[in-house]
Amino acid sequence: MSKVINKSLDIAIDTNEKHFSLTHTLQNWRAYYDITKPKVVALLVLTALVGMSLSVPDGLPWQLLLPAMFGIACLSSAAAAINHIVDEKIDTIMGRTHNRPLPEGRISVESAIIFAACLALIGFVVLYSLVNPLTAFLTLAGLVGYSFIYTLYLKRATPQNITIGGLAGAIPPLLGWTAMTNEIAPNALLLVLIIFTWTPPHFWALAIHRKNDYAKVNIPMLPVTHGVSFTKTQILLYTVLLFVVCLLPYLVGMSNWLYLLGACSLNLIFIRYAWQLKFNATADTAMATFKFSIVHLMLLFIILLLDHYWLPMA
Amino acid sequence: MNQQVRSRRNLQRLVLTSLLLTIVVIGLGAYTRLTHAGLGCPDWPTCYGLIDVPQTSAQITAAEKAFPDRPVETAKAWNEMIHRYFAGSLGLLILGIAIYSIKLRLSKHTASQYPVILPIVILSIVTFQAALGMWTVTLKLMPIIVMAHLLGGFTTLSLLFLLYLRLNAKSMENQGANLVDWQLRKYGRYALLGISILTAQIALGGWTSSNYAAMSCVELPICQGDWLSDLSFENSFDLIPPSKDTYEFGHLAHNERVTIHVTHRIGAIITGVFLTWLALMIFIKARNHRVKSAAVALFSLLVLQIGLGISNIWFSLPLNIAVAHNLVAACLMLSLITLAYKLRQNSQESLYE
Repeated sequence: MSKVINKSLDIAIDTNEKHFSLTHTLQNWRAYYDITKPKVVALLVLTALVGMSLSVPDGLPWQLLLPAMFGIACLSSAAAAINHIVDEKIDTIMGRTHNRPLPEGRISVESAIIFAACLALIGFVVLYSLVNPLTAFLTLAGLVGYSFIYTLYLKRATPQNITIGGLAGAIPPLLGWTAMTNEIAPNALLLVLIIFTWTPPHFWALAIHRKNDYAKVNIPMLPVTHGVSFTKTQILLYTVLLFVVCLLPYLVGMSNWLYLLGACSLNLIFIRYAWQLKFNATADTAMATFKFSIVHLMLLFIILLLDHYWLPMA
Repeated sequence: MNQQVRSRRNLQRLVLTSLLLTIVVIGLGAYTRLTHAGLGCPDWPTCYGLIDVPQTSAQITAAEKAFPDRPVETAKAWNEMIHRYFAGSLGLLILGIAIYSIKLRLSKHTASQYPVILPIVILSIVTFQAALGMWTVTLKLMPIIVMAHLLGGFTTLSLLFLLYLRLNAKSMENQGANLVDWQLRKYGRYALLGISILTAQIALGGWTSSNYAAMSCVELPICQGDWLSDLSFENSFDLIPPSKDTYEFGHLAHNERVTIHVTHRIGAIITGVFLTWLALMIFIKARNHRVKSAAVALFSLLVLQIGLGISNIWFSLPLNIAVAHNLVAACLMLSLITLAYKLRQNSQESLYE
C-alpha cells in the first residue's frame, strides 16, 4: 500500500516539474543511464570494435577508433532510449519491465526525448565529422531501423518482428568496418550475418519466458501467436543454422583454427541449450538459454579478436 | 517431483554442512597460526613422516633424528595435523558437491538449472588451498603465502555461502518477483564496494598477523609514541620477501611492523565508517523486513568485530579473542554478501524486449 502511495507521489512530483531542468537531470543521472540499456550497448560496441579490428591487418589508429566507438555508443544509446519512450505504455503493464525509469516516473517522457535527441545528434555529428559520412549514415539507419521500424512498427505488427528487426542490432560490426575502411566489405557482412542469425534464438528464449507479459499487452511475439512449442522448434533450428553461419569466417579464410574451435564449442553448447529447451525443459531453461546466448555472442566476438591478433591470416 | 525435492534438499544439506565445516577449518587455521603451530610439522602432508603425530619416545627420537632443526612439540604438531585433517575432509566434501551438482545438471529429470560452474570454481580454489597449505610449511611461513592461505579460506567460505544462497532462492522466476525498489537498488552496488573494502581490510589483517605485527602497536587509538615518523612503506608491503631460512616470528624491522599495523587500523576506521553508513542507509530506506534485519546483522557484527580488535590490543592478544577476531571477520563478510545478494538487481536485458 505504502509503495502505491509513494509511486503516485513520485508521479505527482514529476508532473510538477515537467520542464527539462539541469539540476533534475543531474540528480537523476541513474535513470538516464538506465534507459540507454548500457549492457546491451556495451555488447554492441564490442561487436563494432571487432569489426574495426578485423577490417585492417595491424593496429587501429586511435584518431578513428575513439570517435567511432563514441559515436556508435551514442547512437545506440539514443536508440535504446527511444525504445524505452515508445514502450512506456506497455512497460507499465508488463510485470518484468514496470520498474523501468519511464513507467516509474523517475523521468518524464519529454526529458527522455530531449535526452535521446541530444545523444543521437552528438553521435551523428562525431561520426560525420571525425570518422566518415558513410558510417554516420549507416549508424543512423541502424537507429531508425531499430527505434522506429522495429519498435514502433514491426514489434506490434508481425511475429517475425525480431527476425527482420534483428538486422538493426546486427549492424555494428559493419559500422566498425566502414569506420576504418570507408567501404562495405563482404567480410563485414559476414559478421552482420552471424548476429542476424543469432538474434531470433536469443530473443525468442526471452519471449518464451515472458510470454504472458507479451500476451497481456497484445504484442505478437512468436510464442504468443504460434505457441511455445513451435517457438522452441524454431530456436533449435536457428541454433543449427547459426552453427553453419559461424563456420563461414573460417571457410572464407578470414579467421584461423582458434576461431573455428571456439565457434564450434560455443555453438554446440548453444544447441545443447536449445535441445534441452525443446525436449526436456524446466522452469528455468528458457531464461538460462537467454542468458547463455548473451555469453555466447560476447565470447564469440572476443575469440574473433584473439584469433585475429594471435593467428593473423596472411 | 518427490525425487527432485529430495535431490535439491540433499544438495542444500551438503552445502550447509561444508559451510559449517569451512568455518571450523578457518577457526582451526587461525588457532594453528596463533599458537605458532604452523611449523608444528616440518614436512607435508605427513607429520615427521607419520600420518598422525610422533607420541611415543621411540617415535620422537626417530622424528628428531630425521628433522634435527625442528624438535618435536606434540601439542603444536597436533594443532597442525587436526587442521590438515579437517581441511582434507572439507576438500572431499566439496569434491562431492561438485560431482553431485554436475550429476544433477546432466540429469534429465531436474526441474531447475543447478549451478555447476560455481561448485567447480570452489573445488579448484580448495585444491589450490591445499597447495598453499603445503607452501606455508615448505616455504617456512612466508608472509605472502600465509596471507594467501587465509584469503583462500575466506574465498572458499564466501563462494560456498553464495552457492547456498543460490540454491535456496526458489528459481530464476522468483528472482524477478523479488525486485527491490529503485531507491534501494544503488545500495546493491555500494554493498559490492563494501565487499571490496572489507576484502582489502581482511588482507591487511592477514598481513599484520603473518608479519607478526599484531603487538607492534600497543596503544589506542592508532599507535604509541611518534608513530607518524616511524612509518616506512618501503619494505613493509613487499610481496616477495628476501630469502630466509624461516619467516616464523617475522623478518621485518619494528618500524615496518608498525607501518603494517597502523595501516590495518586506518583500514579499520575506513571500513567501519563505510559499513556503518551502508547499514544505516539500508536500514532507513528498506521497506522489506528481511533486508532491514540483514542491515542490523551487518551493523551488530561490525560493532562486535571492532570491539574484538580493540580487545586484542587492550588485553595483549589473548588467544581466544584473536581467533574470534578472525572468525567474526568471516561472519562480517558473509553478512555483507547476504545484503549484496538481497539487493542485487536482475539486470538481464535485450535490445528487442
